[in-house]
Amino acid sequence: MSRAVVFGGAYAIAFFSFLFGPLIIMVITAFNSSKFPRVVPWECFTTGWFAELFGNQRLMDGLLNSVIIGVGVVALAVPIGLAGALALSELPSKLRATLYTVLILPILIPGVVLGISTIVLWGQISRGLGGAVQAGIYNGYFLTIVGQITFVSAYAMLVFIARLQRFDATQTEAALDLGATPGQAFRKILLPFMAPAIGSAAFITLLASFENYNTTVFTVLSESTFTTALASKVRHGTDPSLSALAVIIITITLVGALTNEAVQRRKEAELGGKASRSPLYANPVTRALTHPGVVFAILVAIVATVSYIGSKHDSSVCEAAILQDKLDRQAELRAAQKAKIEAQETEQGITVPKPEGGFGGAFGGLGGAAPTPAAPKPEGGFGGAFGGIAPPAPSE
Amino acid sequence: MKHLTQAYRALANRHGLGAALFVAIAVTLWVVVFITLPQLSMLDYSFRFNLPADQIGTDADHYTLSNFHSFFFNADGSLNTLDLVILGRTLLAAAIVTLIDVLICYPIAYILAHGAKGVAARLMVIGLILPYWINEILRAFAFRVLFGATGVVNTVGMQMGLWDVPVDFIRADVALYFGLSYAYILLMIFPMYNAIEALDHTQVEAARDMGAPLWRVHWRVVLPIAKPGIVSGATMVFMLTAGALAAPQILGGPSNLWFTQVIYQWFNESSNWPRGSAYAVVLLLTCISFVLLMMRVFKVSVGEIGK
Amino acid sequence: MPETSPVNSPDRSVLLDHVSIRFGNFTAVDNANLKINSGEFFSFLGPSGCGKTTLLRCISGFSDPTEGRVLIGAKDMKGVGPNKRPTALIFQHLALFPLMSVADNIAFPLEVRGVSKKERRRKAEELLDMIALPGIGDKKVSELSGGQKQRVAIARALAVQPDILLLDEPLSALDLKLRQHMRTELRAIQQQVGVTFIYITHDQGEALTMSDRVAVMSKGVIEQVGAPDQIYNRPRSSFVASFVGENNALKGVVKRQSEDMAALETPMGTFEARVGGGRKYKPGDEALLFVRPEQLVPGQAENAFQATLSRQEFEGATNHVFARAGDTELRVSMVNAGLAGSVGSKGDTLSLGFAPMNATILPVGQIASEA
Repeated sequence: MSRAVVFGGAYAIAFFSFLFGPLIIMVITAFNSSKFPRVVPWECFTTGWFAELFGNQRLMDGLLNSVIIGVGVVALAVPIGLAGALALSELPSKLRATLYTVLILPILIPGVVLGISTIVLWGQISRGLGGAVQAGIYNGYFLTIVGQITFVSAYAMLVFIARLQRFDATQTEAALDLGATPGQAFRKILLPFMAPAIGSAAFITLLASFENYNTTVFTVLSESTFTTALASKVRHGTDPSLSALAVIIITITLVGALTNEAVQRRKEAELGGKASRSPLYANPVTRALTHPGVVFAILVAIVATVSYIGSKHDSSVCEAAILQDKLDRQAELRAAQKAKIEAQETEQGITVPKPEGGFGGAFGGLGGAAPTPAAPKPEGGFGGAFGGIAPPAPSE
Repeated sequence: MKHLTQAYRALANRHGLGAALFVAIAVTLWVVVFITLPQLSMLDYSFRFNLPADQIGTDADHYTLSNFHSFFFNADGSLNTLDLVILGRTLLAAAIVTLIDVLICYPIAYILAHGAKGVAARLMVIGLILPYWINEILRAFAFRVLFGATGVVNTVGMQMGLWDVPVDFIRADVALYFGLSYAYILLMIFPMYNAIEALDHTQVEAARDMGAPLWRVHWRVVLPIAKPGIVSGATMVFMLTAGALAAPQILGGPSNLWFTQVIYQWFNESSNWPRGSAYAVVLLLTCISFVLLMMRVFKVSVGEIGK
Repeated sequence: MPETSPVNSPDRSVLLDHVSIRFGNFTAVDNANLKINSGEFFSFLGPSGCGKTTLLRCISGFSDPTEGRVLIGAKDMKGVGPNKRPTALIFQHLALFPLMSVADNIAFPLEVRGVSKKERRRKAEELLDMIALPGIGDKKVSELSGGQKQRVAIARALAVQPDILLLDEPLSALDLKLRQHMRTELRAIQQQVGVTFIYITHDQGEALTMSDRVAVMSKGVIEQVGAPDQIYNRPRSSFVASFVGENNALKGVVKRQSEDMAALETPMGTFEARVGGGRKYKPGDEALLFVRPEQLVPGQAENAFQATLSRQEFEGATNHVFARAGDTELRVSMVNAGLAGSVGSKGDTLSLGFAPMNATILPVGQIASEA
């Protein structure tokens, strides 16, 4: 092996450790009973955080909202993206470049800006219309759908452009020549060709809608989507139920990825002709076992079994023991700290540092584990930064 | 306009009147209603006063530069260093994150395009995509877990005796830099990979054969091919990082604000939309000018982005 | 099968009435003016870029002529879209629909005309029988061989009984053996269905073997229209003479002309030959004399001259001999006389000659370069 190969391999391993390390650690923390997500010290193996997650009403409401918004976005962004791709395919090159730039811009514009501009525009429009229309327009669902479409359509468009580039335009010409009307050629030749891209565009737009935070946090107004609910939960103190959520998402992703791999392999085996078919495909038993549907069913069964066993796990005894242990240590520490502070006060006459606000709050409640802050905190949260900003100028 | 009607007619001839009408309506809606009007409306708003609802439309409701003025200057006429510094620092940080991503992604993009074969290449692609199925918020959260005061890094570091008081990685923005660099790796690797893949591998072998050292092969042969991909990826990473909101909110130190957070504050906490709009306009213009400048410098067109 | 009743046969002619097609400043087709007869196998032959495909797309309705008219069956086709014309086009790469089965491909023209599913299936099977590929209707297009795809494309084009079948170099993607086989087959199908075939090709072998008549095109201009043997034996321009088949061109000055014979003075001597294209020359006019390699005969008394054998290319039945006379290298084709005969070896002097009727004098013009 050459030095370059060794170096490249080592680099790849380091790189993928960086990609997966944080996720793996997060997954582990989902099963530690410690109230702050961490790996060490390990307290008790627990599945309680999953129950906690499903019990979070705000997240569950957000999930429903996300689904409603996601469906709306997919229904509009996919056709709009397709229209964009088709328009680009017919324009002369100079105009095409201009339109491409305009349509791709929403991906680059900061999501915050998109969100703001959406609520500002529709706020004005709805004020102008008033009444029932105002209520119909100026609500979190409508605004979020409209705001997300702006850039999500561009994702769909990129998928369609890639597919359209592989379309042989003589196919449409052949259909026309054989007597099809342009509309028939579009429906019977181009659309079926685009079908797989429509599927993946729908998938990508749904995901992008679901995941979006920067735009949605503005447009959703007083409602919340799954992602904004998640963000506000993370900002206001973390607990391992979020890790539990990560475990669920990662599991779904892995099942999806493995099923997809099975589908791809099957396709290759079927396309490749007899010679290239693997022994797995030749043997009827293994062929049935590697069928995408079977692979999916097996994976789902495994996940279901593990979830069922997990739901029966009871860690309360262990947790009670840990809690008792903690309380004991806390009492000890408190006594020690008190003694220390008294000693300090008598020495220097300084007051105790203020308890942490804002981010620190997450650590504050943990008792013994909480560190003594290294520096005095500002008044809490982000407020400090705004101290110097003058109130808006009144109109003269 | 002539070209537009021509394109419309070409569409109608090729795909039918229905399809042409659909394309025309959908694209117009997208460009005008979803892209242009909101930006214009925001621009308009940024020149207005923050008035209570009953005063809108009255004489008091006229255009003003005050929102922009107070971005640059304080009430006493001195420079508003607070906001200016935040903007500057946001752009600088975004540039640093972009640079970090270019550096760490280039080798992987190259290995993926020309080193890895078969199963290894497949696994790498899946491995690159998998983390991005997980919600952006959760990815940031993972770095909170990693770098928190009682996080894995601190616990391990202290147990190994490297330091004995928990290091506040959040306040030092270490977590933020890690989180942001992590967040958009995929957007950097794929354009790069697409560009490098177009390179005929025999060129690399030929250069090596002629005795060029590895770094020179990359500098002279691979990089020129990769350049459009790098610029495309870098543009996306820079814009998304500068416009990031979730990661700074979750991972940012309480005293180091991201410019988007300032905008967020004006909207959601101070309820001063005109001021927030003005700041959004500032962010938009700065980012776009910065990107256009970079494209000029590296001689790459916007059309390369997204490919 | 389209019923071709001889009593009431439809008008399947195509008339190109002073057709010009321009793209901006570029003239793709310049004043094409000809009639293709009902039931004819007609070929457009020319090098790539000569405008033949543009002309074909104009006949099939994908573009309109800038000037002039296209008439099919004596009806002006202006404003009639490709889907409304009685033409069917076989594309260069066939353009079979990969997402449909073979039968669905063939029945597609019927499907878009609202023919019932059952009837479509019946018709598809009938056409598959005609192209001698019964029972492959449920296969995918990707499972077919090159020749099978070719035949399926023809069946699809014939499904709606077009009056005119347009073929855009459909054999170019096939290998040599299959190509030769398909020539015969195409010709047979054409005679069976009686449809007018308009065939586009740059391959003169295809054009000459299959066609009733051939139009030779160069740079947008139709240089000559005629039966294959006329094109070959009686070229009317230097381009046709040099593009179709091998030819030796000798430059010279006309000494005298009498009716359709003339004498041309060349550096190799003065030769008598037929005047091509019915032109008139004055003594002293420059002209080209074309004589085909197989018309140069050793020991021929008329138009005799001496040349030195410079090299040979042996190709089985034929021996290509290159002989040098002065500055000119001439190509001479000799039938392989087997072990009994010999053409000589390098440096030998050859006495050659040719019959005046078998050589053509043409005005100096474009010479087709070997692609």
